[in-house]
Amino acid sequence: MIQVRNVTKKYGSTIAVNDISFDVKDGEIVGFLGPNGAGKSTTMNMITGFIEPTKGQIIINGNDISKRPRKAKKEIGYMPENVPLYYELTAKEFVSYMAELKLVKRSERKKEVEKVLKETGLLDVQNKLIRNLSRGYKQRVSLAGALIGNPDVIILDEPTVGLDPKQITEIRELIKELGKKHTVILSTHILSEVSQICEKVIIINKGRIIAIDTPENLEKATKEKNGISVIVEDPKGNMKKLKEKIKEIDSVDFVKDNEDGTKQYVITTSSDIDLRKKLFEVLPKEEIVIFELKKTETTLEDAFIKLIDTTKIEDTTDKKKKAKKDKKVKETSKSESKEDAKKESEDKSNKKTEKNSKKEEKK
Amino acid sequence: MWAVFKKELKTYFLSPIGYIAIGIFMVVYSVFFYLTTIMSGSVDMGNLYYATARYGLLLIVPLLTMRMFSEERKNGTEQLLLTSPRSVTSIVLGKFSAAVVVILITLILSIIYSVIISFFGNINIPTIIATMLGFLLVAMAAISIGMLASSITENQIISAIITFLLLVAPWFLVDISDIFSSINLMDQFMRFPYGLISISDVISLVSITIMCILITIVLIKRRKAVK
Repeated sequence: MIQVRNVTKKYGSTIAVNDISFDVKDGEIVGFLGPNGAGKSTTMNMITGFIEPTKGQIIINGNDISKRPRKAKKEIGYMPENVPLYYELTAKEFVSYMAELKLVKRSERKKEVEKVLKETGLLDVQNKLIRNLSRGYKQRVSLAGALIGNPDVIILDEPTVGLDPKQITEIRELIKELGKKHTVILSTHILSEVSQICEKVIIINKGRIIAIDTPENLEKATKEKNGISVIVEDPKGNMKKLKEKIKEIDSVDFVKDNEDGTKQYVITTSSDIDLRKKLFEVLPKEEIVIFELKKTETTLEDAFIKLIDTTKIEDTTDKKKKAKKDKKVKETSKSESKEDAKKESEDKSNKKTEKNSKKEEKK
Repeated sequence: MWAVFKKELKTYFLSPIGYIAIGIFMVVYSVFFYLTTIMSGSVDMGNLYYATARYGLLLIVPLLTMRMFSEERKNGTEQLLLTSPRSVTSIVLGKFSAAVVVILITLILSIIYSVIISFFGNINIPTIIATMLGFLLVAMAAISIGMLASSITENQIISAIITFLLLVAPWFLVDISDIFSSINLMDQFMRFPYGLISISDVISLVSITIMCILITIVLIKRRKAVK
């Protein structure tokens, strides 16, 4: 169980992470999504205790990471971005070293190392120097380092970057497998990955959380209208009149002419109506031959882009509002400062008179 | 601390650095062995250690300390260290003691020369032991200074240069004012070769070491909050 409470991180005057809060329950696989520089890595680094939040609390299994770091960190396996490794060690040496760092008992160490090497498929290369391993294997070694000591929480920062498609599917399978026993948080900007692996998605932009939900719900939420893509042969041009025949249709948009003489259209309706059945009935009557008819699907990608765009718009309006406010504040402060100056001069003159009176008393 | 210590010591000898450091020590030590004992027909090993400490450590220490934290920071492996349940103190002490052990190895190797001399004349064993103790204390102070330098930059070369300058600067600063003799490691070492273990020398060398270690720990912890 990870609890992130009102966490803020500032670098000087720039705010990298702005007052975020969320919970990750035991056994969940959570995807962290966001454009580059959104604050994903910063958040992960704070959860793992690598950097300290400027404000807020991070609690791992009841232990505050800043107050009881030893207990909290023992529950975390972390695979950082860019897979940092000791290149002069062999894969096995590295994993044993991580086991020692993670306080795995001496008696269990050998067994544990063997188990993790097997889990990550490293047995064949365990005695090779990490320097000489391919990118995919390096990634596995780093993952093995995160898994050692059987931590409750596994945090993976962009685990599939730089891998070939086969390796990506392998790592994904591995992560899914891990999700059965551990809580997993992973960050990525590959959206298909998230919809495949994760049960929950946290979308973050400009240091703020803009959505926490399941991938399915996010996809649904962005769907305002139902779209049906049709490819038809329409010699009489009856498609244009279709809107008059079926009243539920909002619009019929021509997409393109195909080489075989068919044409592609997108028919949109409001989201609660499914017109597929009706189209099958009506189109043949209008002497339109259907070649293909399918629902257009919204993907997580659409949801992501839409959410990111909305925050951008909000931001710009916020800025405008702020600018207006600032102007007002400046104006008022000017008048205030004038008043202040007056007061100060009055105070000074008062003090002077006091001093003078004191001097006189002394005399 | 033990885990980090073992890994660091292994790394010194997996890379050429450990061997180069020992090699440089032996070359410098041998040259001065020739100059101070054989050329002058003396059995005084103290001068030999003094000269080796003065010029040898200047080369060896930056070599041993430059990669300590700079390399970890540059490769990002410090993330692995600092997110592990180990405390910053134990990590710093582990790295420090690994470097000290490399120096200990060189010191043990240096005993060979005393053995050789003992065939040709009477050597004063207690004096030699006192000198070696002084040498170790000076080396520890120098290593802690180098470690501090390594924790403030991610560039190994810059780290080595800073260490070198911090070790050399007091030699010349002493000419300006006597105040600087308290930070000049060689001034604290001066009395050991006469078989004189002065409490004030020991305390000042040990306190320089502890101070640099503490500053290193604080700097690394502070970076967590600032970074």
